Amino acid sequence: MDRDSPEVEDYEEVSVPEECELAEYDDAPAEAPLEGGGVEWRAGTSDRLTVEALRGTFGRPPVPSGFRMGQEALLFNQTACDYVVERGEEGHESAVIRVYGVTGEGHSVLCRVHGFLPYFYVAAPADWDESVLESFREALESTMAKFAGDERHGAADAVVGVSLVERRSVLYYRPEAEGGKFVRIAVRTPAQLRQAANLLRDGHVMRMPFELYDSTIDHVLRFMIDKDMVGCSWVELPAGSYTPLPDAALLSNTQIAVEVSWEWLTSHAPTKEWLRSAPLRILSLDIECAGRKGVFPEPDKDSVIQIACHVSVYGGSAALHRAVFTLNTCAMIPGVHVYSFDDEAELLQAFRNFCVAVDPDILTGYNIVNFDLPYLLNRAAHLRASRFPFLGRVRLARTQMRKTKMSSSAFGTHDSMVFSIEGRVVMDMMQVIIREYKLRSYSLNSVASEFLDEQKEDVHYSIISDLQAGNEHTRRRLAVYCLKDAYLPQRLMEKLLALTNYTELARVTGVPLDWLLSRGHMVKVVSLLHRKATRVGLLVPDLPRKQGDSGGGGDSGPQYEGATVIEPKKGFYRMPIATLDFASLYPSIMMAHNLCYSTLVRESDVKRLRPEDYVRSPLGHCFVRPTVRKGILSVILEELLQSRKVAKRDMAAATEPFLKEVLNGRQMALKISANAVYGFTGASTGKLPCMEISASVTAFGRQMIELTKNAVESMYPGAEVVYGDTDSVMVKFGDDIRLERVMALGAEAAAALTRRFPPPVKLEFEKAYFPYLLISKKRYAGLLWTRPEQHDKMDCKGIESVRRDNCRLVANVVSAVLRKLLVDQDVDGAIEFVKRVVSELLQNKIDLSLLVVSKTLTRDVEKYEAKQAHVFLVEKLRKRDRGSAPGLGDRVPYVIIKGATKDEKAYMRAEDPIYVLENGTPIDAQYYLENMLRKPLERIFSAVMKRPEQLFSGAHTRSIHVTAPRAGSGITKFAKFRLQCVGCRAAINEAELARLGLTGTALCAHCRQREPEWYRKTLHQAVALEKQYNALWTQCQACMGSCVQDVLCSNGDCPIFYRRRKVQKDITEAYATLARFSDAW
Amino acid sequence: MFEARFTEASLLKKILDAIKDLVQDANFECNESGVALQAMDNAHVSLVSLLLRGEGFDLYRVDKPESLGINLNSMSKIMRCAGNNDSVTMDKVESADTVRFLFESPSADRMSEFHLKLMDIDSETLEIPEAMYHAEVELPSAELRRIVADLVTMGDSVRVSVSKEGVRFTVKGDEGSGSVILRQSTGVDKPEDAIHVLMNEPVEQSFALKYLNLFCKAAPLSARVQIKLSRDAPLLVNYAMSNVGHLAFYLAPKIGDEEDEQ
Repeated sequence: MDRDSPEVEDYEEVSVPEECELAEYDDAPAEAPLEGGGVEWRAGTSDRLTVEALRGTFGRPPVPSGFRMGQEALLFNQTACDYVVERGEEGHESAVIRVYGVTGEGHSVLCRVHGFLPYFYVAAPADWDESVLESFREALESTMAKFAGDERHGAADAVVGVSLVERRSVLYYRPEAEGGKFVRIAVRTPAQLRQAANLLRDGHVMRMPFELYDSTIDHVLRFMIDKDMVGCSWVELPAGSYTPLPDAALLSNTQIAVEVSWEWLTSHAPTKEWLRSAPLRILSLDIECAGRKGVFPEPDKDSVIQIACHVSVYGGSAALHRAVFTLNTCAMIPGVHVYSFDDEAELLQAFRNFCVAVDPDILTGYNIVNFDLPYLLNRAAHLRASRFPFLGRVRLARTQMRKTKMSSSAFGTHDSMVFSIEGRVVMDMMQVIIREYKLRSYSLNSVASEFLDEQKEDVHYSIISDLQAGNEHTRRRLAVYCLKDAYLPQRLMEKLLALTNYTELARVTGVPLDWLLSRGHMVKVVSLLHRKATRVGLLVPDLPRKQGDSGGGGDSGPQYEGATVIEPKKGFYRMPIATLDFASLYPSIMMAHNLCYSTLVRESDVKRLRPEDYVRSPLGHCFVRPTVRKGILSVILEELLQSRKVAKRDMAAATEPFLKEVLNGRQMALKISANAVYGFTGASTGKLPCMEISASVTAFGRQMIELTKNAVESMYPGAEVVYGDTDSVMVKFGDDIRLERVMALGAEAAAALTRRFPPPVKLEFEKAYFPYLLISKKRYAGLLWTRPEQHDKMDCKGIESVRRDNCRLVANVVSAVLRKLLVDQDVDGAIEFVKRVVSELLQNKIDLSLLVVSKTLTRDVEKYEAKQAHVFLVEKLRKRDRGSAPGLGDRVPYVIIKGATKDEKAYMRAEDPIYVLENGTPIDAQYYLENMLRKPLERIFSAVMKRPEQLFSGAHTRSIHVTAPRAGSGITKFAKFRLQCVGCRAAINEAELARLGLTGTALCAHCRQREPEWYRKTLHQAVALEKQYNALWTQCQACMGSCVQDVLCSNGDCPIFYRRRKVQKDITEAYATLARFSDAW
Repeated sequence: MFEARFTEASLLKKILDAIKDLVQDANFECNESGVALQAMDNAHVSLVSLLLRGEGFDLYRVDKPESLGINLNSMSKIMRCAGNNDSVTMDKVESADTVRFLFESPSADRMSEFHLKLMDIDSETLEIPEAMYHAEVELPSAELRRIVADLVTMGDSVRVSVSKEGVRFTVKGDEGSGSVILRQSTGVDKPEDAIHVLMNEPVEQSFALKYLNLFCKAAPLSARVQIKLSRDAPLLVNYAMSNVGHLAFYLAPKIGDEEDEQ
């Protein structure tokens, strides 16, 4: 995360003489011979696809000639900020802040901000005064020079300003020593800040160690805090305050490039008219690589064969431009610019020029951070396409990438790539979705089906090579597929309001947009804390960071007791259950008791306080009351919650849908941020952990839940708290009280109890469950009612298992059961339903796709230690056919089949679903019953019936189907299937039929008199199957967007795919049966 | 109405013990000529074929052909309740969903009755076409059981070769290898120990010992066992039950890669 993180793996530098880079544009043709729609650019002409030429088609709207740069105010919506260290004319290094953004008219802006110096504080010894400062400065400077080992390099006058100031530390309330002396030290660059801070901390200056304050804050964030500028805000440069950048065209790729001194730049708070967003440009991309069979593409071997781009404008749903760059020819695609190349390096270069010409603010795609972008950069390096890695808005800045390891308590540890694409925010939808949603699978297929409710065509990469090797039409086919994969991330972004919500989160917490994805939760609170502290003259101490003991990963510092859970009284409640919730429990506790760093009193200082001036938490920690000093965390939380109220109110009043969404995004962002504050104080590896605060918060919480339970039960005789967790209690007021009454009682109880707690703690009654199925801790389901007329929805917690190793059948059955239990209140119906499913499973009547489990092969087969089904299957498939077996990174779908003997473990019995379909391999129905369905269903039914195990035994389990494979290995290869009578399934005795003079072998002698009836039935079946097949085929064609080409999809996550294969096989069988009828038919 | 009576429960017990590890659920097809059962194991490597002729029963009556779907494990539980010398009567009235087992002690002073719920088993019928075998060996069933039991400890598959020399069983495993050869012997003293090898053509095939081991559980049914094999055809292991019928097992040979893996 740090800029100077040790695991930097810099992208291999390719040395390019700078002239070459600049020469690139000199030969740009003046004319832009491009027109919209279906243009095919022949191979070999790519040298004409310069940035200038492409701008003609794809560029931003031109800046009107009337705009008098420098003389009118410049207003733009900033999207990204960074800084660059430059050497000025006088030989000093300085850090220039660069703010990137877009004006309301859609013109891109680069604004270079000069003069903002990095600074930090150290605690000054009590006897220091102004007279010491100069010698301190000299001592610091000379120590820095000595340690830098290079006096020429500006270190000699690195320390620009030293001043004595009065401030307080944010940590601890000290009864008498209010206000303290601190030295504010300003240097020229962030690197010098780091150096100076370390030297001071370690006692190298004036032979004494200094305590550091505000020293670890990122330079960009420091600037934003001091300018009161939040992420994605509108920035204004007053008329006359700024100047156009000299040589703008040589230095930047933006339309407007200006310079300003930092004092002049102002930022508008994101309210009212500054809530809107500029028309940001979003470029979504997807690449295809030529894969070799069985190997994942490697950039030093496999070429990039296609790059598809989908350009859109934020807020507008239609595509602005669509383009695809292909290696080798490609037939025209309506509405898409197709550019074909013979040379791959030219293709990459054309894409790079396209990217610069489009000048997007947001780069998106699916898994572009860890696949597409690194692949392109590595491939370009391999091909020595030296002009490629310049994708940003600063012309001479090479696009770099490095690996980082991000550890966060909320998101776990991930290896990820970080890019420096100046001025463009990389917003990988895969990362967004992984952060925000818990899903069975994060493949684009399943994400698309989850959120967009559509299946996605999945062309296996072994087929991709075949398509590429075909003709211009097969390559067109591939291009269409690739374009769709570029389009989907953009649609996901739109559907999930990802950009809207992240923009609001950036605005609320004040961090730059791209930090939200590249960093953890903590940075948001750091930003909030510093912003508030700076304003009230508090400094944040830089405690030595606790490093997690290497090896002992589970050891995360001192533990404290978490939230309380009232033991659930399991059961199926057919009467309304009222839910009393504490609104924003933890934030309101922190506000109510004024819990903060700045109000915490050291135990030794407590006796010097008057008893009425402090509160003692249930754990014995003392915090002063707000009358003495108001904690800044309380202030932050108050503001956040107040803003949330405003946002909610405005949202209710808003009429424009887009504004409503923005405001909804904002109120959610505010809620998330408020809750993150508590987490920040409790994160032992965080920046400023304070267990006294976090442990006190949970202790107050536990006390309040207990109190609520007791109070409700004593206030309402007969009432019973059936369950309670963290911030809510579930109350049963009585056995036959009507919903309206329960709602009234709930509201009354909430109001009465709220009065018992210190404000702003508020107990709310918002919903009742009726009926309510309480299974165990954190697992319950019910119909949720907020008003007595109609229930709002079915609410399930902890039931619908999102575990990926579950098959779809489980989720389907569980949700159907819940619907029957809760909506229809039909317990018998639910039982019958489960029995029917069990019975169908045993009779092999369940759609195979519902039984498929799929897992990704995340490392080499040899590297798996534990035996896992999908790994075992891959080994099996490799033996069968090395070429088509799944490779690293592939999803491996499987079903569990019956074992040959009893001692075969389940993982050994995993089989490819297609193989199962084609060979009629028997599914292990018992496995699915015992290991998949049984537990979740018994859990649910344990609340409504005495012996839920009855669901899995009894008459309905005594009808089974024993499949016999038609082809394949084993004994069936040698056996002959005896024909069975279509009517009664008795074996057909052909000799007997012949003796009776009957032709055809479909029916036995007994069933002959009903031959017309059976023929009609069989024919109907065949026709029905054909219809079904046609419907499925049509669906697949619709999905791939063409009805004249073969469907190539092999999407193992798609139920349609399996059904198509199954029906195909059934049709063949149905026709074979038809053919057995006598000649008369 | 279906009704069948065995004089001794032990026969039925032995049959069940021999097949219940290979097959879990199967249909007993009952018609005028007798009771037949045919089923594959889950992996479809072997096929069990049981025939009990009507004449072999004490009493046998079938009004209309019936197919009794039975879970062999459940049936075996019931059969355990019968004394070895008890007589067993199985009967089922038409359209009933259970089959009744009636056990009577030889002295007729103890009678017990059990009902087994029937299953509806939807399966297809297979047949292995009768063919001329390249070689046939007849040997004491105890001998075959011993050979298989010995070899299964050494490896997964056995190579069976029949030549003029006799019949040879060879095993190779991780720890080593071994072989047993049986020569033709008339068994002058004890005709029941005789080994007859009839060879039309030399033949050599590999089979999974795991299955052979399961087949040998049928040894108590018959003192003698016949094995028949041909190149690229399933092995037949047949236990004839005098006057009653037979229990035959077919086993697919291991071919190509499967063999190499061993």
